[in-house]
Amino acid sequence: MHIGKTKQMQRREFLRRASALGLAGAAAPWALNLAAIGEAAAAGSAGGYKALVCVFLYGGNDHGNTLVPYDPASHAAYQAIRQTLATPREQLAATLLNPRLALPDGRQMALAPELGRLKTIFDAGQLGVLMNVGTLVQPTTLAQYKAQSVPLPPKLFSHNDQQSVWQASGGEGATSGWGGRLGDRFLQSNGNALFSCVNVAGNAVFMAGQQAVQYQMSPAGAVQIDGISKPLFGSQACADALRSLITAPRSHPMENELNRVVARSIGAQGIVSGALSSLPPLTTPFDTGNSLAMQLQMVARMIGARASLGVSRQVFFVSIGGFDLHDLLLAQHPGLLGSVGDALASFYQATQELGVADQVTSFTASDFGRTLTSNGDGSDHGWGSHHFVLGGAVKGGRMWGTLPSVSVNGPDDVGQGRLLPTTSVDHLGASLASWMGVSATELPLVMPQIVNYTTQDLGLFTA
Amino acid sequence: MNAASASPSASALFLPPSGAPTEAEASRFLAQAGFAATPVDIVRVQTLGMAGWLDEQFDAPRSLSHFDWLISKGFDKAKFRNGFAGVDATLWRKFIGSPDALRQRVVLALSEIFVISMAGLPVAWRGFAVAAYVDMLETKAFGSFRGLLEGVTLSCGMGVYLNMRGNQKGDPRTGRLPDENYAREVMQLFTIGLQQLGPDGRPRTDDTGPLDSYDQGDVSELAKVFTGWNFDGASATSPEFMRRPMTHSANRFAVGPKRALHVAIAATADGPTALGIALDTLADHPNVGPFIGRQLIQRLVCSDPSPAYVRRVAEVFADNGRGERGDLRAVLRAILLDPEAREPAPGPATGKLREPMLRFIQWARTVGLKSPNELWNVGSLADPAKRLGQSPLRSPSVFNFFRPGYVPPNTDLGKLGVTAPEFQLCNETSVAGYLNFMQGVINNGIGELKPDYTADLGLANDASALVERYALLLAANALSVHSKDVITDAVATIAARSDAGRRNRIRAATLLVMATPEYLIQQ
Repeated sequence: MHIGKTKQMQRREFLRRASALGLAGAAAPWALNLAAIGEAAAAGSAGGYKALVCVFLYGGNDHGNTLVPYDPASHAAYQAIRQTLATPREQLAATLLNPRLALPDGRQMALAPELGRLKTIFDAGQLGVLMNVGTLVQPTTLAQYKAQSVPLPPKLFSHNDQQSVWQASGGEGATSGWGGRLGDRFLQSNGNALFSCVNVAGNAVFMAGQQAVQYQMSPAGAVQIDGISKPLFGSQACADALRSLITAPRSHPMENELNRVVARSIGAQGIVSGALSSLPPLTTPFDTGNSLAMQLQMVARMIGARASLGVSRQVFFVSIGGFDLHDLLLAQHPGLLGSVGDALASFYQATQELGVADQVTSFTASDFGRTLTSNGDGSDHGWGSHHFVLGGAVKGGRMWGTLPSVSVNGPDDVGQGRLLPTTSVDHLGASLASWMGVSATELPLVMPQIVNYTTQDLGLFTA
Repeated sequence: MNAASASPSASALFLPPSGAPTEAEASRFLAQAGFAATPVDIVRVQTLGMAGWLDEQFDAPRSLSHFDWLISKGFDKAKFRNGFAGVDATLWRKFIGSPDALRQRVVLALSEIFVISMAGLPVAWRGFAVAAYVDMLETKAFGSFRGLLEGVTLSCGMGVYLNMRGNQKGDPRTGRLPDENYAREVMQLFTIGLQQLGPDGRPRTDDTGPLDSYDQGDVSELAKVFTGWNFDGASATSPEFMRRPMTHSANRFAVGPKRALHVAIAATADGPTALGIALDTLADHPNVGPFIGRQLIQRLVCSDPSPAYVRRVAEVFADNGRGERGDLRAVLRAILLDPEAREPAPGPATGKLREPMLRFIQWARTVGLKSPNELWNVGSLADPAKRLGQSPLRSPSVFNFFRPGYVPPNTDLGKLGVTAPEFQLCNETSVAGYLNFMQGVINNGIGELKPDYTADLGLANDASALVERYALLLAANALSVHSKDVITDAVATIAARSDAGRRNRIRAATLLVMATPEYLIQQ
């Protein structure tokens, strides 16, 4: 699309980057290697690019009303347990899933009515549902859970901790997540290492690697610091003083860390703003009133700019909150799901527009699933949940994993319809990492607990 | 006195008593115990001493309540029922303008521990729910922890935010169970935390690792205790009920025996009695002192207090010297007068990144920002790209803007295991957003709140004196000589021949001081 402009753009970009780097100067210890930027830009435009996008649903998505039992017996069981929370069966007919491999025992599942756009992509074979996935340390049976005879994830049912376990295999205070550790594997091959892990939401431990640093940007782009960009209160000397004060290395670790962030911000902003401004606008519509859609639109634009950003492998993080619906589940959950479905569908369409649909995979994640039982107006904190994996390379139209029974005190229930996961986040992460190109021997560097499982790849992707 | 005497005195006529804090020491104390240090405040601390200043502030009169202010401005009209109109304004009114600085500072800190947020209050009269909640924190801030806990628990705002309001007994016929949200979070966040703690706040462990404070069974049991509560006379036409504690309905209260942790609650205990037993049990738990004490230290003084500091504060929490537990005045005194607060040993973990909203409030108080028509139209500062990424009572969730255990990944702090909660808000976007926002407000204020630099115009003729003054007031004189020189040289390039030039000198000096890492990391 913008290939015709590439040569001219690369030269312009190089010059502008060189000047941006000069500004950041010695205070930018992160790898922005000028020669490597040029090489990686070439590599990026030559193909071989891949990106992974984590869509985190903060608060614990109610999986029970996201993927809903549809065959008459299962729906009746669901209705009996959920009572007023249950979605009526007739509202689910349009989003009934017909997976390419039928579910066992004649079971049928439907997406929430608001997820119609995802149903279309499922039918086209580019979206699948991973059933009952959650945090584990190793394969765990209900008997083992009850006897506490195997290691379990720390602080089950606690929001902040389970967010952290999902993202980083450890409770609050963990310092590296699997998105970041995935980024670590590609720091060398990405000419511009800083753009290996790009976060368009707030800071998330998912995106911190052992070496990889998450680059945070806003849905509107990178923010320029006005005070150093032109004379400050009429004084160029003041602008220069500001730049020096906020970027100089410091001896106190907190002061130094602060200035490292500022220096990164300044250096990256020039590159990102330049790269984005030279792109044609996306024609795929994104709902400007949907914050998740706006984040994903920026991810799509960054992917569009991959060549000038000098990257061939990237991990992105976006998020949407509000899922902790102990109350008002019926009033609020459909709207949230609608936002997720629309944002994901628009994003997938944008990757088609960019010609990279086969090279970009997005997936949902959340603190935990919720209870199947009702507390009258909502549901409580659970464990295993259902999640989506979406992209042109996905062997979609399928439902992976094990479909849980619709019951309280059933074979997967640790209480009140909280699901003991039958597929672990480690499995999911390892499968995604393999698709990104991480070798089997290096998988434990990304997902250390994967060594606790015999099956490692979930077969989410075509070839 | 000391190095601080080299700076222009806050009040040239004032001679502090011998042994009094220096101006820099007073300024530093005021940034912890209040928001800002005006020359008048500095003299007051020097006159009374720090302990005396605290005593005066504990008894300072309260300004008009948030609730009454909203009514006085007509926000109780029905058309405002489903919004937060006026709430940001009244919050800024007090945080910027109310003279009881210690109380306001502690209220803001408590609002970050006992979190409710405008990001999640789906109820009619939601603005008044927030106003009443903050008023309640003001009322309880200097009382007992047990009283504060009950105020939080029975407030309509928390009732809506964490769903205790409307929580009802289970129904064996339908399988409905009590809502667990408040039961879980009151333990995890407001009282005891997830792990058993020693008296110095460090987790207790055994062969298997850290010991949990409670399990899912404890949550389910406590959820039963917290059934039956609802608004005291909800009304579509008047928000008045929002400032009354919730009331109990016996017919929605779970039947049968219950327990709060290890304490049995008889089936005969009615709802309020059962709630009282549960809150007593939680407030008496040995975790509370170190758990809450450490978080209050983090909000007021430093990000990674030593275990010894936490222990000293927890000891005062356990006993204020008169045999009383949970005396918050005594706890606040212990936090703010502790040797580690007053004279911290230099080290990698010393200090804290100032919270973005505290930087703005400090600046506003330092320049004496006024709202001439009482509009206080600052609005929400929550947008990280254009504003501060943080605004009072606008946390994204009950887990606050940042977690007390946050360790910034991939940093020297991470390698050292230093907790630095505020860094959770610090990223490439927010650092730029902060500088741009402050440049704008320093230049021309925000809303109808315009800074008046007239009083400093004379000082602005002397760039060095100007920088010294703002370094003292804003940064407690913590700027390095080098940073001051850089700023002074730059400010001096602005011609001071006109008032316009002198104003620009003041603006530049202020922004540059507030951009230095020595300012932003409050030590």
